[in-house]
Amino acid sequence: MSRLTTSAVPTERTKVPASTEARRRFGRIATVLWLPALLVVLWWVVSANSTSPFFPPLADILAETWNQWVVFGAWPNATSSLQNLFFGYVLGVTIGIVGGSLLWRYEHVRIATNPLIYFLYVLPAPALLPAMIAIFGIGDMRQIALIALGSIWPTLLNTLDGMRGIDAVKFDTARALRLGGWRTYFTLVLPGAAPQIAAGLRASLTVGIILVVVSEMVAAQSGIGYFILQAQAEFAIKKMWTGILVLALIGTLLNYLFMFVERIALRWYYRSRALGGS
Amino acid sequence: MSMPAHGWIRWILPSLTVLVVLLFWELVTAAGVVSPLQFPSMTDSLEALWREFGSERLWSAVGATMLGWLIGMVITIVLGLVVGTALAFNGFARRSAAPVIELFKAIPSIAILPLVILVLGSTLPMKVFLICFAAFWPFVIQVIYGVQSMDPVVLDTSRALGVRGPRRFFWVSIPSASPYLVTGMRIASAQALILSIVAEIVGGAEGIGRNILLAQNSGTTAYPTMYAYIIVAGLLGILLTGAFFLMERRVMHWHESQRNIRASSKVGRA
Repeated sequence: MSRLTTSAVPTERTKVPASTEARRRFGRIATVLWLPALLVVLWWVVSANSTSPFFPPLADILAETWNQWVVFGAWPNATSSLQNLFFGYVLGVTIGIVGGSLLWRYEHVRIATNPLIYFLYVLPAPALLPAMIAIFGIGDMRQIALIALGSIWPTLLNTLDGMRGIDAVKFDTARALRLGGWRTYFTLVLPGAAPQIAAGLRASLTVGIILVVVSEMVAAQSGIGYFILQAQAEFAIKKMWTGILVLALIGTLLNYLFMFVERIALRWYYRSRALGGS
Repeated sequence: MSMPAHGWIRWILPSLTVLVVLLFWELVTAAGVVSPLQFPSMTDSLEALWREFGSERLWSAVGATMLGWLIGMVITIVLGLVVGTALAFNGFARRSAAPVIELFKAIPSIAILPLVILVLGSTLPMKVFLICFAAFWPFVIQVIYGVQSMDPVVLDTSRALGVRGPRRFFWVSIPSASPYLVTGMRIASAQALILSIVAEIVGGAEGIGRNILLAQNSGTTAYPTMYAYIIVAGLLGILLTGAFFLMERRVMHWHESQRNIRASSKVGRA
């Protein structure tokens, strides 16, 4: 981020004195942090003397989190969820990108499969869970298949749309330069569609996280969704809260990790947009 | 790029594909390639679908799912418009709230599901709360973008004319931001439908999701019914997403920014 702005507006930076710059940066960080910090403090204070069975004090939840996840070692639950998510997601988005590219290349296939793909895209993926249980039984295979099946479509459709949105002039240029089919694909089509493919990958991740947890909640013997629902069934509310906390943390970290990777991978794109002045 | 296909191809090919897929489904199950214990035949499933269409069970399930979706969407849209517009006009509030909104958007809404079930039970409010929690954050971000993208000249003009408060909200902000709003609504609607189904499968609230799970639980003889309900869920998705697509394309065609938005965020128009 910061590097992007310095490269775009190099002159303005030099005029600002260091002390003002530091104060401004502090002000920016403070603006970003005060509300989240206040909310956490508020949660802590309001829940401190809570006697409600559903909302235990935050201090107790944190202590219990330490107990459950570090002392008692509930970590395998999280790692098995992440493992299934990883395999299913990678499988799904690979099919999505390859499939999207093929549909872009072959227009008749695209027209022919349109209703089918559209149906699978708008079909709420969790609805397939019971069918997946019937086909694959209970196990990692079912989880991976479901996650893959759910994460294909956002990536596929975004890949296709991104590729179709590329300026036709660029293809003329590629033809004039006598770039071959594959070279055009890797140097023009894929990078050109990259921003929208990234948007699709992100939507797929959101679906994938929902699916991994839902399928663990309905039928599984391990995983973080299983942990949370098991705790809820035992009425172990504090234990359930620790699962919610860990799941929220993992989900948030995955999202931020994605944004981080996206920003690095698409740095050329953001930079060209910043220079373009739009 | 290749030439656009002829008109008749656009109709023949897709219908042919659907037909081929249905036939393939029937052949695979009839030939015993796939065990009927795992996957019912196409004719059985469509027959079940036909039977369910005539039954009261299906319509009450569709009604329950749609009711949760509708209430959740209305709350999300009203709350999102008010909060989003307020944040868009106040820089400090926006910069302060942005990390909180981003954080809540990143939290998988499914995480709070067991807690919500515990507090509210397998009820409609449970479903609605979950839908709102999932749909609100992405929508409010879209509202902020939309209102911020407003032409400054329009804003200055409205200020010079003394248009302020609710009048500015309804006659200036909302129409200017409308392309973003409709896109946001379509995303929110998809989220709402997914969470609605999840609340029914995991939380046991009345609706299509619960009927899918019930059919799966009642053994292989009910599998055609299960697939019938899955098809219904897909049809519902087509109906809702299609409606928002039409809205995006038809109602907003007058908006100058629509061209760019369609180029940047269209999805599903394969």
